[in-house]
Amino acid sequence: MEGFLFYLGGAMMLLGGVAMVASRSAVSAACWLVLSFLGSAALFAALQAPFLAVLQILVYAGAIMVLFLFVIMMLEGPVMPAEAGRPKFWIPAGALVPAAIILVATARWVPGAGLPGFPGDLPPGFGQPVRVAQLLLGEYLLAFELISIVLVVAIIGALALGSNERTLPWK
Amino acid sequence: MVPVVFEALAKIVFMFLVIMSFVPLLIWAERKGSAFIQDRTGPNRAAILGLRLAGLVHPIADVLKLVFKEDVVPAQRHRVLYAFAPWLVMTVAMSTYAVIPFGDHLRLGGREYQLVVADLEVGLLYVLAVSSLATYGVALGGWASNSKYTFLGALRSAASMISYEITMGLALMGLFLVFGTFRLTELVHQQGDLIWGWLPRWGIVVQPVGFLLFIAAVYAETNRTPFDMTERDSEIVAGYHTEYSSLKFALFFMAEYAHMVIGAALIAALYFGGYQIPWLRRELIEDQAGLLLTGLLAAGALLHGWLASLYFRRARREKGWYRDAREREPGVLGAVALVIGLALLGSLLLRPWSLGAAGASVLATLLQTGFFIAKIACFAWLFIWVRWTVPSFRYDQVMRLGWQILLPVGLVNLVVTALWLAAAHRP
Repeated sequence: MEGFLFYLGGAMMLLGGVAMVASRSAVSAACWLVLSFLGSAALFAALQAPFLAVLQILVYAGAIMVLFLFVIMMLEGPVMPAEAGRPKFWIPAGALVPAAIILVATARWVPGAGLPGFPGDLPPGFGQPVRVAQLLLGEYLLAFELISIVLVVAIIGALALGSNERTLPWK
Repeated sequence: MVPVVFEALAKIVFMFLVIMSFVPLLIWAERKGSAFIQDRTGPNRAAILGLRLAGLVHPIADVLKLVFKEDVVPAQRHRVLYAFAPWLVMTVAMSTYAVIPFGDHLRLGGREYQLVVADLEVGLLYVLAVSSLATYGVALGGWASNSKYTFLGALRSAASMISYEITMGLALMGLFLVFGTFRLTELVHQQGDLIWGWLPRWGIVVQPVGFLLFIAAVYAETNRTPFDMTERDSEIVAGYHTEYSSLKFALFFMAEYAHMVIGAALIAALYFGGYQIPWLRRELIEDQAGLLLTGLLAAGALLHGWLASLYFRRARREKGWYRDAREREPGVLGAVALVIGLALLGSLLLRPWSLGAAGASVLATLLQTGFFIAKIACFAWLFIWVRWTVPSFRYDQVMRLGWQILLPVGLVNLVVTALWLAAAHRP
């Protein structure tokens, strides 16, 4: 089961990543990237880490990419004439699907690459929210807080760069 | 393995049927309820053999119309995303139900069944994650139609959904602090407790501010009035689904009502005890099952007898009003009520007071699930009530409310809850 999920998630990530680079329109590229994120969420689920899987969808697919899409749509406007016709990126994307299926089907005969699974029992509480919270807010508290300070600085910097001088709250 | 698959399938089909029967009923309730609020009659024309059922036949007519209508599509659309968007919206709407428990454990034949499709460790976060994906369907649908109105609707919806997701998350975090679990079954189970022996430990009792934040966020996420900037008729026609017709439009329309049912189910499950019946614990129901069933059957028989008498009186009064098939309606309904009432009365002969253990478990489950569905119906009606009573916000008002009022209130609520819990649990 883990092996199946692993190859499914991996195929989704591969397909999404390649199609994102190959697609012409920024909006479809964003959609392919979301597919890739969903694939990585599936990988986390296969690794017995449901918390990380859900966070992957919640944060990357649900928040960050929606914002990206929002900005892309604002900047690009409605559909370009070139995008409106029959989709062209089907050819590379379509070629990837059989490639991924062949990869999944033949993986077990590649030496040293059997279907991955778990050899033993997991430690109790593995991958559960409590455990993740203990790591983040206990063992790695300093790094966690430093990263959040970096993010706050980045937000303030974006605000300062992006907005009109006179409308800044401290002017 | 096979029984597990069948169990899961049965639960999925059950939830699907509940939602899918709520959708047409809610559309009917919206039309009839708005008519009631605005002092109109509302839909009452569609009829089958003279049976109009107060407009309940209209949803059938609506479905037939939507299925057989021509599918008009804009020529300059983005072909793939245009077709993909309604499907995505509907899929996202349906998949939230997987983690909502609709009953306690059902014990049958020595096995215990948990009445939830997927009892996830991270259920609460799953709800947030899935509802955040709903934005894509609306935003992509509006963009792919390649029309200025749909595009504006898509931008507005993306903006409002992003803004209110944070409020929703903060409200849910308060709930998580109090109950200490992301697991929805555990969360609903804990709400069956009583504080001081009389007050149900419902979410709204322990998190009143969180409830207000959550209900505002749910209204914004479902794009219902007063947050209906995405489809404001007088400004941007119908918003993101202006260019959709036929079944694609029907999918968007059904998804809106399915989202309402989710919203109502979430409010009921998180803040109003879910399937828990206040002051009537499951053990008590199972203890007194025979007595309870007898009482319920007798009350049902009385109720249907009373209904039948009302209908028969109406039939006599309305004799000669229409001089066509419509005159049959009260008589037919009265006869149906009479038959049901007599059946309930007759079932008393089967000695319902000597109910076995399995029967008691089934009865308790039926009562709890019925109670949950009744709660969902109440909150779904609240959605409709608000829509036809409250004027909607302007776009900038929605943004200001979300970012400058609800977000700080949510943060303060979280801090206060944490401090209160720390004080209460101090050794």
